[in-house]
Amino acid sequence: MSAGGGGGGAHEAIPQNKLIAFGVIGGLVGIYAAYFLVDIIGPSMSFLGALGAICSIVWGASAVRRVANYGLGTGVPSIGMLALGIGVIATTFGLAVGGIAGPLVALVFASLIGLVVGMLGNKVLNMGIPIMVQSTTEIAAAGALTIVGLSTSMIGTFMFFDEIVNGVVVAQGVASGVMTTGYIAVIFIAGGLAILHPYNANLGPDEKQDRTLACAFEKGAIAMILAGIVATITPFASGSITILIGIAIWYVSFSGYYKRVKRDAFMVTGSGLLPSKEELE
Amino acid sequence: MEPLTGMGVMALIGAAATIAGASEDLESDVGSQSNPNSQVQLAPQMMYPHRIFNKAISGEPPSNALICAIGGTIASVLISSGASAVLALTIGAILAATVHGTYSVTSYLGRSASQKRFKQPIYLDIVRSHVPVMMGYAFITTFCILVVAYLMTTVLEHPFSLPLLAFIWGITVGAIGSSTGDVHYGAEREFQNVEFGSGLNAANSGNIVRKAESGLRNGIDNSWFCAKFGGPATGIAFGMTVFLSGWITVVFDASQSDALGWASIIAGAIIVLLLIIWNRNIEVAARNAYGPYKQDEEAEVAA
Repeated sequence: MSAGGGGGGAHEAIPQNKLIAFGVIGGLVGIYAAYFLVDIIGPSMSFLGALGAICSIVWGASAVRRVANYGLGTGVPSIGMLALGIGVIATTFGLAVGGIAGPLVALVFASLIGLVVGMLGNKVLNMGIPIMVQSTTEIAAAGALTIVGLSTSMIGTFMFFDEIVNGVVVAQGVASGVMTTGYIAVIFIAGGLAILHPYNANLGPDEKQDRTLACAFEKGAIAMILAGIVATITPFASGSITILIGIAIWYVSFSGYYKRVKRDAFMVTGSGLLPSKEELE
Repeated sequence: MEPLTGMGVMALIGAAATIAGASEDLESDVGSQSNPNSQVQLAPQMMYPHRIFNKAISGEPPSNALICAIGGTIASVLISSGASAVLALTIGAILAATVHGTYSVTSYLGRSASQKRFKQPIYLDIVRSHVPVMMGYAFITTFCILVVAYLMTTVLEHPFSLPLLAFIWGITVGAIGSSTGDVHYGAEREFQNVEFGSGLNAANSGNIVRKAESGLRNGIDNSWFCAKFGGPATGIAFGMTVFLSGWITVVFDASQSDALGWASIIAGAIIVLLLIIWNRNIEVAARNAYGPYKQDEEAEVAA
């Protein structure tokens, strides 16, 4: 068994199909709820987009865990960056042509690119990882939903272009509010690391699914807080609620993560010497 | 812009980049990130549990891109709401360093917990002593990168926004730190017990030095060692990259005429050519001075 993973299928307490449902449904519901409720109730509901993003981050982290468990090793970061790269392309395309169906178009388009990339990896590069095609599809789709979700909670909408009435901008779109301002960079990297860091941080033969996913929630919460900080200066999204909920989720998930670390570790000690020879045998 | 002002700004950018490069490399050495990490990760499996911080945040380029993008985003938010630039850059760098701290903690705890069967303990004093050091270095790196990005957007009128430039320079400083400075830690410090220059024999894999001059070695001891050469070398490498790549467009300003634009490209090509010749000469001189190993000697393992 290598240090880079089990070299076989990962043990799953929660089946991947449930996590796919959690990511897709949670992500889309969060994004659409944010979009409609910002219109109906007000900018304070923009935090729902980030909650949707956390759902897809957890799904993506679980998909990374499954495929990386085949011994990807240093390829774990690469596959996460690949996912977010696909995600940005799919999001830009999906939101630009999709209108109200933008997130759905982005999801489908990302899945398609992920499918092609996975097939290229397995058939052309001969990587021969059994779940490669399914996993790249999932990771790319999760990356796209993460980007749409975080963008929505930053500016309160996922419409790509500005809404202009009589020459006056009444609502900022993703193109001018997120991409031109450069905030897409933080979405890309904070969302991407939230998807790939959990498995990378827990790499090892005694990795456990629930601990890795607790880490995914925690990193997703950091991305949510960052989206909230940007939302404080945009008129159609409210930052303070997003930040507060993000901090609460971070605290709960970090406590849960630390609890699982203490459960799984050989020993958690304040300080001490190395294990003796007798102990190691 | 006055050419003299441009050169002054370039000097400031180069100085900030040099500090950023040095602190980035030392930060990664405290936590054993990137290239040296594989041996730190492997050691417990080869029956060598250790007290060295095992930090894997997806390699240095993404992790530095993360802290710099966070710093740039927060600074840009604060500047657009009216804060002064110095305050905005400082607060951005502080929050970025905090996020870096959470990433460091989760990777040390997670990776050590996943090595249960190899009996690698989690030492909480390692977390308490190392994470503030890494956050400090991360703050210096982020702040310097933000200074570079801020000067580029405001004075040099770069078309990209502050968060995007900070993100790009973050990837760059991580990539240069990973390729330049890590060798000093990964190939030398971790294997001080084998003959200098002997390479990594497969039998020594995972057998990193775990004992210090006094007590057990940890990541802060490693950054002390790397601060003598690896860190400054990385700083000079990154500072030169930033300075020389900016210098050519400041001296030959492409926005004034097409001819000057071509001149800047030619100047850049000449610099690259000179560096290639220089590097080649260093390599040849080193080979002549130290030569290849004549015979396969059994590496002696010092205690």
